[in-house]
Amino acid sequence: MAAPDGEALDFEPEDDDLMDEDAAVDAADASPSAPPLPKLKSAITSSSSLSAPKKTKGRGFRQETDTNRNTRLDGSDFDSLTTEGGPGPQRSIEGWIILVTGVHEEAQEDDLQNAFGEYGEIKNLHLNLDRRTGFVKGYALIEYERAEEARNAIENLNGSELLTQTIYVDWAFSSGPIIDSNRRKNMRPSRGERRSRSPRRRY
Amino acid sequence: MASGEEESGEFYLRYYVGHKGKFGHEFLEFEFRSDGKLRYANNSNYKNDTIIRKEVYLTPAVLRECRRIISQSEIMKEDDNNWPEPDRVGRQELEIVMGNEHISFTTSKIGSLMDVQNSADPEGLRIFYYLVQDLKCFVFSLISLHFKIKPI
Repeated sequence: MAAPDGEALDFEPEDDDLMDEDAAVDAADASPSAPPLPKLKSAITSSSSLSAPKKTKGRGFRQETDTNRNTRLDGSDFDSLTTEGGPGPQRSIEGWIILVTGVHEEAQEDDLQNAFGEYGEIKNLHLNLDRRTGFVKGYALIEYERAEEARNAIENLNGSELLTQTIYVDWAFSSGPIIDSNRRKNMRPSRGERRSRSPRRRY
Repeated sequence: MASGEEESGEFYLRYYVGHKGKFGHEFLEFEFRSDGKLRYANNSNYKNDTIIRKEVYLTPAVLRECRRIISQSEIMKEDDNNWPEPDRVGRQELEIVMGNEHISFTTSKIGSLMDVQNSADPEGLRIFYYLVQDLKCFVFSLISLHFKIKPI
């Protein structure tokens, strides 16, 4: 079920005041030996009150850290290509990007080139490596120029086999936020207040 | 492979690395939210560079891969108790909410594996060190493919 347009966009943390950038250093550099009272004030905590208490861990909860850490990523002056309309695949600057997961750790660019090149010219291919092992991390990002090339690759190769492993193929970018049962509780209740848990997503 | 942890539940990730020096507050920060929003900010005043702020919505598939990378690292089992404190050289922050756990780790910048090895918790710090690199790599690919900019 798609939510009514606009409803999902209300995602700014309540804490919107901009703090003085420079005042923050002193707090961080003060005395680490005397940790002040726990300060639970990150972007997520304001919205997590409805769920079970979380196991928390780390200095971020005990120390007075950078006071502007909650605001650095706030604000609305982020560049974005997002267009009007409900969620759907989002075009990138020069084409359409798809994500491939389940990629075999010994896969080579050629293996992906062979499989995905069949649906259109691959403009860009990122096959990133695990920094520790040096093997493929398990995903690839592929750019096609045209939407139908990307769509054909998704339709034909999602769930297929590449080097003995099942790969999953989907769009990488979306034109709007994900709406699911986990998010809904943090947003204004939608009409009808349907609370039943939806089945796991399968793509 | 697809544990419940990776499939559903709350999710949030924020990574920050930065320092304050003669070029002002230079930092890199990114954030994944469970509604799919990826935010990326990179600020440097070096050579009058200005802040880069980008945001884009990701599909559930991309978030799922991000969760997989985190689960696989087992970072949620670690603790920053014995990691180096942030210092003049800089600080790193990694905050993750996944399932019923919420970590908010803070440490200094890590120049190389030598720093990891010489720390009081090399095993834990190594996990952090590699996870951060894998996450940065993921985010840089997403941002550079989408916006055609070269991060850093």
